[in-house]
Amino acid sequence: MLKKAIYLRLCVLLLLFTACCLQACQHQSNASSAFYYWKGTYEQSPEQSELLQQTDSRRLYLRFMDVKWNSSTKQLAPEAVIRFRDSIGKTAVTPVIFITNQSFEKIKIEETDSLAFYLNKISQQLAAAQHLNYESMQIDCDWTVSTREKYFRFLSQLKKFSHKKLEATIRLHQVKYHFRTGIPPVDRGILMFYNMGKLSADLSARNSIYNKEDAAPYISYLSSYKLPLDIALPLFSWSLHIRHGKLIQIYGKIGKTALNNQENFEPTEHKNVYRARKSFFLSGVYVKTNDLFKLEAVDSKLLTTAAKQLAPQLHKNEKRNIIYYELGNLDLSSFKAKDLQKTSAYF
Amino acid sequence: MSEAYTPFFYTPYRSYYGDETYKDDNSNTRYNKEVLADWDAYFQKTVPAATLQYLLLEASYSGVDSVYKNYKGTIASLPAKLPQLKTLQVNKKQLTIFMDYLLLAKACEKFAANYQPYYWGDDQPKVEVPQQLEISLSTAFKQAKDTFVKQRLWFQLLRYYYFLERADQSATVATSRTLKTFNASKESFPKNTIYYRTLGYLAGLYYSKNDYATSNYLNSLCYNYSYEMKIPAKWSFHPQEESDWKQTLDMAKTKEEKITLWQMLGTYFDAERAITEIVALDPQSEKLDLLLSRIVNSAESDLNGAYYYNDKDTAAKTTLRKNLVLIGGIAKKNNTAKPYFWNLAAGYLHSLNGDYPIAKQFYDQAKGQLPKDDQRVLAQYKLLDWSLYVRQLKSIDAATENKLIEPLNWFADLRTQKQDVPYLRYYLAVDQTIDLLSELYKKAGNPVKAAAFKSYSDFYRSNAQIEQLKALLNKPNKTAFEQAMLRYYPLKTEDLNYYQAMVLVYQDKLPQALAMLEKSNGESTPLLGNPFNIRINDCHDCDHQMAQSTKFTVSKMLRMMNNLSTEIKAGRNVHNNAYLLANAFYNITYYGNGRTFYQSAVTNADVTYPTSIPSAFRNMILSCKPAEKYYQIARDAAATNEQRARAVFMASKCERNESYTEAYDLPESSNMWDADVKELFFGKYFGALKQQYANTKFYQEILQECGYFRSFDGR
Repeated sequence: MLKKAIYLRLCVLLLLFTACCLQACQHQSNASSAFYYWKGTYEQSPEQSELLQQTDSRRLYLRFMDVKWNSSTKQLAPEAVIRFRDSIGKTAVTPVIFITNQSFEKIKIEETDSLAFYLNKISQQLAAAQHLNYESMQIDCDWTVSTREKYFRFLSQLKKFSHKKLEATIRLHQVKYHFRTGIPPVDRGILMFYNMGKLSADLSARNSIYNKEDAAPYISYLSSYKLPLDIALPLFSWSLHIRHGKLIQIYGKIGKTALNNQENFEPTEHKNVYRARKSFFLSGVYVKTNDLFKLEAVDSKLLTTAAKQLAPQLHKNEKRNIIYYELGNLDLSSFKAKDLQKTSAYF
Repeated sequence: MSEAYTPFFYTPYRSYYGDETYKDDNSNTRYNKEVLADWDAYFQKTVPAATLQYLLLEASYSGVDSVYKNYKGTIASLPAKLPQLKTLQVNKKQLTIFMDYLLLAKACEKFAANYQPYYWGDDQPKVEVPQQLEISLSTAFKQAKDTFVKQRLWFQLLRYYYFLERADQSATVATSRTLKTFNASKESFPKNTIYYRTLGYLAGLYYSKNDYATSNYLNSLCYNYSYEMKIPAKWSFHPQEESDWKQTLDMAKTKEEKITLWQMLGTYFDAERAITEIVALDPQSEKLDLLLSRIVNSAESDLNGAYYYNDKDTAAKTTLRKNLVLIGGIAKKNNTAKPYFWNLAAGYLHSLNGDYPIAKQFYDQAKGQLPKDDQRVLAQYKLLDWSLYVRQLKSIDAATENKLIEPLNWFADLRTQKQDVPYLRYYLAVDQTIDLLSELYKKAGNPVKAAAFKSYSDFYRSNAQIEQLKALLNKPNKTAFEQAMLRYYPLKTEDLNYYQAMVLVYQDKLPQALAMLEKSNGESTPLLGNPFNIRINDCHDCDHQMAQSTKFTVSKMLRMMNNLSTEIKAGRNVHNNAYLLANAFYNITYYGNGRTFYQSAVTNADVTYPTSIPSAFRNMILSCKPAEKYYQIARDAAATNEQRARAVFMASKCERNESYTEAYDLPESSNMWDADVKELFFGKYFGALKQQYANTKFYQEILQECGYFRSFDGR
């Protein structure tokens, strides 16, 4: 009798414990969705506005310009500075500036000061012309050990000139080898969780945009990375143009629809690889007979895989933005708002 | 082929062949010469060239305005550098027409030809097309009677509309004023450069409205018109989809126009497809030659590139095999305008593919078709034929040598510029064939002739071989073949003597070395530091920086070394003399401060990394054995422990360097950073120092200076 009572009590306790545990495990997401906008001209379609609304995205990471080394004038120059066809409206904006790593290879360390000064000035001018207020700026640069000193000094100077919160994109290799590449002197990092594989003419090579296997060796280092992180996830696809076993170009504009045109292409024994049946022009690209196109695509299923792989490696209680790359060229038919919301909710 | 095609020759890294400064890319100056010439003719050469040059090409709007006002009398004086039109003996009416036109043209340049660089911090430049100009331009155009000026006004007006309408989303080409302006007067003017420049802007408008088919067709007409128009027209040529490309082809009114279109496609996209199409249209077309040259040059570039990167590039070979079928097929028909060109190309592609007998057949066919008065083509044939001949040689006997004499001399003349065939590219072919000859002699066991054709470092391992080569160089009655062959040997007897002297030094045969040095050209080679100094830690830069009361040359050093050696043998002041001699032996190695000693014409070892020193010389140059021997003598002859400690420590440096040298010599160490140094972990000399000389002052000094030694001591 006594035994039975104890047993029952234990059962109740166990049930209660399980219930508590389940509740505790029910993860409350602290993540918000947001988008990059990377096109040269800002224009917003009704569908894009709708997507922003449906995903409850209140922030746009807007590419303001690229900075590259101009080999004929032998100086750095802003390129593809954004033009506005539409106004931004009420969405909060973080200006993003892409700087090639070569830029820092080419300039002297003293010159990083004026680079920071001018970039801040141009950003202010661009924003003022659109009546944009911004409280943070983001710099996208795949820096290396050899450019680290100059890049970090540039960031410190930019902080000084701009008085803004500063963000920098972080590649996976920079997380794993942070003792070599250093941690940039910024307020937040944006982990780019894509472009992790090697672009390759090898037809059986894994998807270079995202694949679980290539990400795996890096993600365990995330929990000890010394910067609060937002996450950038890919919403893009591209095709690799391969001629005679060599990768010759990558195109965002040639996708599934074009490659499924049987008149021009035939499928091969490799998944997502198409062979040209003849020589012809396609979207301004000249395709030769027997050229191969390897489609690397991201869909909502792959996005879920990425989120499931990444989320457990990050601190749960931090508020963070899940930034999707990118809105301007997004094929709206392939992604639904609820897929993206579901993805963000993993974090 | 026509020189006009040169920018489109195959070039792997640049947009245009021969355009080192990228000047052809984006330039407002390409028509300047013609503009000047046109106006000069208009004035029948009555206006000085400098005045025309200034007004047309240099003056700003206000510059022209001032000159004109001065001419009309509204401004009394002009700055001295501006032209005074009143003084000219020129048709006054024409001058007024010209100046009226020029003011309008300068006003248009502000939006049409005013490249504004965009610097940091500037606002982005905006191109504004001023509204009021339309009335001035169209009025002037309507009123103009003179066809020469009227056509230019037509050009200005159309260009004005182009700039106005290209960004206007609402304007279509059909309703555009650009097209209307063109159509209204297109038959009124001669088909000259101005006509085609005008047409180019119309093509631009079609492009801006996404009518690529028409735009590309019009651009092809401009491309075909003149050399000056080729680059801008080609630059604007962008078929988008196969459907618009087909429409473009359908627009072609003549066979020639269609051929031009295929040539443009062939130049950047697909030479093979273009050649096939053009041959079907007209095998005699001169537009084929450019495409053929591109196929040959790109095959060459792909294969050489693959060779260079040691990459078995099957892709390049697949393309090559496809192309030799295509080109060979056309060549065999012998129905092109220059059949020898096709036969040579087919033969060459076959030779690149290793089909020598077939290549020979094509060359033989070409031989009978060569134009007898075209020196360049004849030279090209000779070069190709020679390359093929050498590639097929299995061995070289006396009869073969006799055959080689003439071509060897001919190519040597080219190389020494005794003979010049403009634009003939022969370096690679001659280098490769001379290499092949050298290899054949090597295989046949004739290293002297092999080295004479191509000096190679292993040859110099044998002193007997060097002597034979010297004998050949100095032979009084050389045969004609020997004379021709030695034109390819880059060194002189003196260079070889220096090398022999150097080897004798490293062998510690100083008197013989001195004797040989006197017969060389290296006596006065300067040494950058004092070779008799030594440090605990090697530091060349410090030694080179130090003030030197006497500057050392190789000859001076060697004489002193020889004296020291004599003194040591005589037993005089042995410790000091041996120590100094050891220092010199140390400093003439790779590790020492006197590297110029071994950097000679033969060793060719002016390199930073030891692994880059040819292996034939590496051990000799890196070995510190002679130095170590004399440090030991210095130790044995020392009077104090301080002296001994010093000599032993310097010997330990030799011991340690030896372990590096061994590592560099391993085959896997071709890259110095991968050199796996087997640690000679604290060799015998360190132990001796610790056991015997730990109480010397020098011991404290090396503890201070040498971390490596410190870590040994601390064990």
